[in-house]
Amino acid sequence: MLDPRDGSLAGLQRFITDAVRSGTASPLDPHRAQGADRVLVAGKHGLSPADRLEIYREQFWVRHVSNLIDDFPTLGWVIGAPAFREVASGYLTAHPPRTWNLQRLGADLPAFIASEPRWASDRLAVDASRLDWAFMEAFDAPDASPLDLSPLAGATEDAVTTARLRFHPSMRRLAFHHPVHEVREATKRGDARERPAPRNVRVVVWRDATFAVRATSVEPIAFDLLAELSAGAPLGQACEAVANANGVSTPAGELGERVGAWFQDWTANGWVSEVAIAR
Amino acid sequence: MGYRERHAIPDLGVGVGLRSAHIVHVLRERPAMDWFEIISENFFAEGGVARAHLDAARAHYPLVPHGVSLSIGGTDSIDRDHLSRLRALVRRVRPPWCSDHLCWTGAAGLDVHDLLPMPYTRETLAHVVERVRRVQGELETPFALENASSYMEYRESTMTEHQFLAELAYRADCGILLDVNNVFVSAYNHGFDANAYVDAIPGDRVVQMHLAGHTDKGTHLLDTHSDHVRDQVWELYRRAIGRCGAVSTLVEWDENIPTWSVLEAEGRAARTVRDEVLGATTKVRPC
Repeated sequence: MLDPRDGSLAGLQRFITDAVRSGTASPLDPHRAQGADRVLVAGKHGLSPADRLEIYREQFWVRHVSNLIDDFPTLGWVIGAPAFREVASGYLTAHPPRTWNLQRLGADLPAFIASEPRWASDRLAVDASRLDWAFMEAFDAPDASPLDLSPLAGATEDAVTTARLRFHPSMRRLAFHHPVHEVREATKRGDARERPAPRNVRVVVWRDATFAVRATSVEPIAFDLLAELSAGAPLGQACEAVANANGVSTPAGELGERVGAWFQDWTANGWVSEVAIAR
Repeated sequence: MGYRERHAIPDLGVGVGLRSAHIVHVLRERPAMDWFEIISENFFAEGGVARAHLDAARAHYPLVPHGVSLSIGGTDSIDRDHLSRLRALVRRVRPPWCSDHLCWTGAAGLDVHDLLPMPYTRETLAHVVERVRRVQGELETPFALENASSYMEYRESTMTEHQFLAELAYRADCGILLDVNNVFVSAYNHGFDANAYVDAIPGDRVVQMHLAGHTDKGTHLLDTHSDHVRDQVWELYRRAIGRCGAVSTLVEWDENIPTWSVLEAEGRAARTVRDEVLGATTKVRPC
């Protein structure tokens, strides 16, 4: 335990920080209570120094657990409220808040769930935590300028082949073992009933023009193409890589027709933020 | 020349805290309200709905950022990311002042997201003065510190909170955000005289006042911002506004957030008290 009386303000603040975030449901341990006696005034209304520190400690847990409950609604539904509180307590002990930004509080929760023996094998729980965090990231991701499609006007076929796409900063691509985005929607509507059967899905999460964060499933091959393009590959090269990997004909054939339809969907959704064509 | 006059701090009248529960209503209906306070950190993101709401609101109302995470009394370095985002927000909003709390929020790289009280000593005073000067230098906008509510006091304190706050404001040349409810809550919790506290605060340094509700937990009062302003706090506000004059006043309500009409009525109640004390009748600023 830290010594609250090392004579420095930093030492005092380390002691109190350590005490405030200690434990979960039980009051301050005796060692910390003794430390509180040494640095705090007992004061009014029968409250001991430890009781006073306890007020802050209790608030620490209430505030942070409640934040995580708000930020991870799908995970909360999947594992249930009592289990979620246990997970949140374990998480906050293992990953105490290190930033002023409460929006980032749950940044490591998906990895924590995936590494916890009790939950690692529950793929729906792991999926839910990843989806919920993607929503958090998309919510306040940077904005993008409105899409300008004029570079495409009059561009030759060769130029289009070398075009590179940039995507909205809020866009996240996730592969899941369950249609967990449907669970989140059902939870939001209040009509989630039972855990869905496993089904591999590819999902895009993004913030739309009305600032609502949304999720939708996409075909696996479109998902792969988005990955190639997001990594910076030119359109032609990305299509070729995806076609080869998925065993379909090259852009001139089957895939080429589908890319055109996908591109329309992507631009309508606001996923594409820039089309850069080399001149 | 007093601080408010030197920095041309205006009296914005009576406002309320702009919270997400009401923001759509406010932007759509544009109710008459003198000004709004915004929680700085809620508008630090580089995009998204908060940024859009901020830009829409500042087109129609004066906005003043009020932070909760600067940790001005902390011993970790001032967070560069936080400060640069605050500076960007101030440049975007162009408020007449901005504020945070006289407190610290964590240590050794951890942040407990609470407003922890300082030990009030000469050494900690020098520490906070130096940090306030640095922050003001970065912000290039008048900066005020609020007296936070507290539930513990340190054995090593050699000054009262109001002595510390007054001397800090003088030496760092910053403003004071006098939270009247916090004075009342801390006075109850620590057994000091709330009236004496208000009387000791240098009135010309007070750029803003806060009003809010609190919760009686039996053994202590908790600053919850979850209810109407209590009668005793209205009385203390009457005393404070009588001492400090026409100072911008703001009603905070952050838990059990009521309908807009209830919040608006609480703002009207503050205006009534203010007008009674100042002997003036001010009209709410139409949008």
